[in-house]
Amino acid sequence: MTPSQQADAPRRWGKEGFWRGETLFAIILFAALALLPMLAGGYIVYILPQYLLFGMLAMSLALLWGFVGILSFGQAAFFALGAYALGLALGHWGPSGSYVGLLAAPLLGGLLAALAGYFLFSAGVRATYFVLVTLALSIIVEQIAVSQSQITGGWNGLFVDRIVLSFGPLGTLELFDDYAAYFFILPVVALAYVLLRWATTAKFGKVLVGIRENEDRLTALGYDISLYKTAAFALSGAVAGLAGALYGMHANFVSPSLAGVLFSTEVVVWVAIGGRISLIGALAGGVIVSSISNYLSSIIPDYWQLALGVIFILVIIFFKEGFAGAVTQTLRAARRRRQ
Amino acid sequence: MQFALSVAVDATLITLVLALAAFGLAVIYGLIGVINMGHGAMLTLGAYFTWWSVSAGLPFFLAVAVAAIGVGLIGLAFEHLVIRHFYERPFETLLLTWAFFLIATEMIKIVFGSDFRNVASPISGAWVVGPLNLPAYRALVCMLTLVLMAGTAFVLFKTNIGIKIRALVQNREVASLLGLNIARTYKLVFFAGSAVAGLAGGLIAPMLSIDPYIGNVFLVRSFFVVIVGGVGQLLSGTLIGSFLIGGTETIFALFSSQVIAQAAVFFVAIVLLRFRPQGMMRGR
Repeated sequence: MTPSQQADAPRRWGKEGFWRGETLFAIILFAALALLPMLAGGYIVYILPQYLLFGMLAMSLALLWGFVGILSFGQAAFFALGAYALGLALGHWGPSGSYVGLLAAPLLGGLLAALAGYFLFSAGVRATYFVLVTLALSIIVEQIAVSQSQITGGWNGLFVDRIVLSFGPLGTLELFDDYAAYFFILPVVALAYVLLRWATTAKFGKVLVGIRENEDRLTALGYDISLYKTAAFALSGAVAGLAGALYGMHANFVSPSLAGVLFSTEVVVWVAIGGRISLIGALAGGVIVSSISNYLSSIIPDYWQLALGVIFILVIIFFKEGFAGAVTQTLRAARRRRQ
Repeated sequence: MQFALSVAVDATLITLVLALAAFGLAVIYGLIGVINMGHGAMLTLGAYFTWWSVSAGLPFFLAVAVAAIGVGLIGLAFEHLVIRHFYERPFETLLLTWAFFLIATEMIKIVFGSDFRNVASPISGAWVVGPLNLPAYRALVCMLTLVLMAGTAFVLFKTNIGIKIRALVQNREVASLLGLNIARTYKLVFFAGSAVAGLAGGLIAPMLSIDPYIGNVFLVRSFFVVIVGGVGQLLSGTLIGSFLIGGTETIFALFSSQVIAQAAVFFVAIVLLRFRPQGMMRGR
């Protein structure tokens, strides 16, 4: 961080910037998404929730990578874990397993992340090794999903039904209809955004940024670094787990490849392109890159993946903070010119 | 007795093949501190180059040499274009080498296709040594691994270049002040590490069916080999790490499935990493 950026840093977190910058953009984005089904229909309403959940997964990584400065290659493991949790709960108890599944998904994701996180962070394992361990975590979850085929269906995957939530006398909410699913998933993603946004702007988030910038100083100030890192990783795992459960439900399907290394990598690429320093940037990165990926993969599969690799390398070299960082810098430069 | 012997032979063969696969990574990470996430792709490239050269009519060992030099040159080009600007930032090099993996894998798919390829083993059958029955090709590869490691030790400890590299590892600033060309030495090491990865990919090729993702199997295992053994402990660290990782896998595979064995190995490696992050071959 150059001195001039450091001088700018408090403004980024200040009240004024809060309303004019990211939050305003987020409000517009979610409002537009809420109104979208009135304009577009059919396939878009069906498919968009899946991309939104990818965006939610991307946000869970941005919390770690952008704010704490630790990179996880294991987000797909939590995502798949959530999807399996809901699928198994529904398979076991039928529709009445919906609540159990929806609750178990974030809990399991958060718990696995908390255990793995505390185990490693309390020993002060280096950030680079953390990448490798989370990569291994992905592989372990994928292989367990493959090998325990009597439970998970192995490579054939597991069917995940749409959920039915009953509200006692108020009736039931069935998500079989695409519009119902859309208007269930959109608020969940919005809530996840608000939760993560709150976590990053509250004192918790400031400590996380402090850890990213200077771990030793925060230790000297009396903060328990490993506890903060573990909490951030657990929150990230829980968000990823819930996103995975809803994704499995929406796609009606979960297979081991959802936990795999390749999918974990894709998440990292989304966040790098969207911008790791901004939750909304990561969300947009997840939604836009994954939808373009899906579209182009059917036309030019190999060349698109190649292009994605090249874009990734260019982002790392030239736009370290991704699209969101580039936009922020442009706006800041424009404001400075006006002054 | 016979059973114990055959397990020991199996464990030795697995250890040495794993050491071969991990050695290129150990060279690059141990000597210049770059976490080469593209290592798996380099192994895969080595395997494909070997397959391609053999298909073009070259004898097997010449094909492996072509693969080693080819992958070395690709590594060198990548170092020159990208990596050399990021030596000060290890986390960025990790991401950049991961991008190398993505790009190399897609290039392999475009150039060579996604079908399974097979390279015929240059020697087949088994060597019978006393009561032991050694699969000939694997045993040969294991001996080559030992030769490669001994050769590396010779270069590092008995030659002029080796002294320069060791000086660089010990203290970069002072080495630079003494007139050592840091940039060129880094290039040399990156080339050597990539070439060794290519060589390993070529030698391992006849043991497996080749597809664009075979390197992935070895990537994480190689990392654990290097970290568990001790970064910078090129010879002893790589051997001990391979023995622990490969040996654990052999033992677990005896009484459970291959898949569970691999998961168990990763778990053991993570636990070792937690309690001895400096590796087995380094004192505290």
